[in-house]
Amino acid sequence: MSKYQELANAVIKGDTQQVKQITQQMLDAGEQPLAIINEGLIQGLNEVGIRFKEGEMFVPEMMMAAQAMKGGVELVKPLMAGTDMPTAGTVVIGTVKGDLHDIGKNLVIMMMESSGFNVVDLGVDVPVDKFIQAVKDHKPQVVGMSALLTTTMPVMKEVINALDKENLRSAVKVVIGGAPVSKEYADEIGADGYAGDAVVATEMCKQLLN
Amino acid sequence: MRYASKKGAGIAFRTLTAEQIKEIHSASCRILNEVGVIVHHDEAAELLKKAGAYTDAGGRTYLSDALVEWAIRTAPSRVTIYNRLGAPAMFLEDSNAYFGTGSDTLMYIDPAGGERRPWNREDVAAAVRLVDNLPQLDFVMSMGLLSDVDKRMIYREQYALMLKNSVKPQVIIAEDRSTVDDIFAMAAAVAGGKEKLMHQPLFALYTEPTSPLQLPFESVDKLLAAAEYKIPVNFACGALAGASTPVTVAGTVAQANAEALCGLVIHQLKNPGAPFLYGYGDSPLDMRTMQAIYAVPHALLLQGSLCDLARFYALPSWGYAGCSSSKMCDEQAVIEATMFTLMGALQGCNLMHDVFYIESGYTGSVELLVLTNEVISRVRNMLQGVDTSPEYMAVEAVKRVGPGGNFLGDEHTARHFRETWQPDLSDFNSYDAWAAAGAKSMGQRAREKARQIMATHQPVPVSAEAEQEIERILRDAEKRLCV
Repeated sequence: MSKYQELANAVIKGDTQQVKQITQQMLDAGEQPLAIINEGLIQGLNEVGIRFKEGEMFVPEMMMAAQAMKGGVELVKPLMAGTDMPTAGTVVIGTVKGDLHDIGKNLVIMMMESSGFNVVDLGVDVPVDKFIQAVKDHKPQVVGMSALLTTTMPVMKEVINALDKENLRSAVKVVIGGAPVSKEYADEIGADGYAGDAVVATEMCKQLLN
Repeated sequence: MRYASKKGAGIAFRTLTAEQIKEIHSASCRILNEVGVIVHHDEAAELLKKAGAYTDAGGRTYLSDALVEWAIRTAPSRVTIYNRLGAPAMFLEDSNAYFGTGSDTLMYIDPAGGERRPWNREDVAAAVRLVDNLPQLDFVMSMGLLSDVDKRMIYREQYALMLKNSVKPQVIIAEDRSTVDDIFAMAAAVAGGKEKLMHQPLFALYTEPTSPLQLPFESVDKLLAAAEYKIPVNFACGALAGASTPVTVAGTVAQANAEALCGLVIHQLKNPGAPFLYGYGDSPLDMRTMQAIYAVPHALLLQGSLCDLARFYALPSWGYAGCSSSKMCDEQAVIEATMFTLMGALQGCNLMHDVFYIESGYTGSVELLVLTNEVISRVRNMLQGVDTSPEYMAVEAVKRVGPGGNFLGDEHTARHFRETWQPDLSDFNSYDAWAAAGAKSMGQRAREKARQIMATHQPVPVSAEAEQEIERILRDAEKRLCV
């Protein structure tokens, strides 16, 4: 088995210690940092994604794999000055103003990060202008908004209106979710998508960015 | 051996041993001692501080065991809820089991054509009338989230519909304190004034923490309002095991118990002796689909645990029954709803809600409601247990009939046969008689019954004065909220 395959397998197993060990050995042996990421670590995570879709692996295992990969990335990162880290895309996400619920949103974040997205979490009770500022600062491809309360749903529309006003709307895709939210509501307020759960949200972002 | 739940002539059921109950209590106390909670409400934080709770620089509040045990002792061990006619309807104590629907499902399945669509006022009114008519349903919740009224008015309008379309007690959801105030005023209009309503509650209020270990402002605000008005109230973690609570049953119970006890402490500090309902639920996170799943074995074990704890604390219990993760009222729905209903009754859960939930609460099925009415009827008959007194042991009857005889003609049979369970929808006919009656499945019969009741049942109306007052409260709220 090649060292790359070994590294990918350690990611699949979710064994952070082993991933770190193999990554260090490969760096010491003079392997290219970008190759370690693309052909070792990401290969492992991709395989996890396939096995998840086939029902062989479950979300907690996927997250252990993502954590293991992170362990390797941390060793490689300092050696990659000047090169961009490969990511599936950047997502700015938050629970809208007036709403403290974040379990669903955090599941989305965990799934997204496990799938290679760079996620900027704005937390809960996020006012409209904080979303706007984050879009300016982080230049994401996707803005994700969550609401569990029927009373806070309208804030989603306010954020979309503000994106329009600031001429940022065309630069991002807006995906919304939360128990009372629906596809119809997404259409009504002019969002690009409604995701009912973390698995769908991650798939949707992959598709929207393709 | 002592049993936590003992019924009728001797049917007994328990989930935890006496040692396990104490272990869980200790674990929950440790969570409140060592991890603490975040209280997003100034008045509640102040109440806790005055009572000696410690808040650190990071804003976490830690509760002492003495404070927790004080609150457990102070809250009443039994709560009576009355119906709209002023009669006591539910005695929440010991192992008494009462059943009701759930609130706020997003989708309604029309029993006429099977269409799945958002609820409107007419649908909710008809569904509440169905609950009013079904004899095994003891209380009503709002069932459907109204899609045809302004979002700010939903909970008030739902309450008016419940009040007008059923005499049964209600369990309510409200988004904030001012909604609770309006609902209390509407209830007072039919109950004979606020003073009387405080003495004879017509509804209970559902509030919840944001797990893990956060007490959001609106929830605490409603909890305090309930304490003031003596509205029976829970503080029920809706666990998503594996996400908002630990993935194990014991871990979820320990944390949800800590959260409920923390709510109880705040509630009792506000008004010592106000009625509190102890309970919570779990819809574990499915690790493949990321869905919250209802009525799985873990959820049933959690409920058994909380019922044992409730009796240990001498508090009325709150839980679930008759619900399912299935997308339609099919075999899965009936399996899950029936298991939960039977188990909840055996566990002796006092107040069980969510009968008629399918799709983990996104959709409500009146067909499942009618089917579960029949399940509850079977269960209640069974809970009476086995009477072994001489009359029931029937040695005299055996003597009379003797070897080779027939009990059908004996007076003992005539005296007691009506005590055996009688079906409402279940079919006991011969094949030919069943086929001649249309060869209908139980599901078809349930849908027909639902349609018929929804179209024809007339609940006892509220008085004209009360109806006017309800209208006035609704219109005033609209003005205040600028609807």
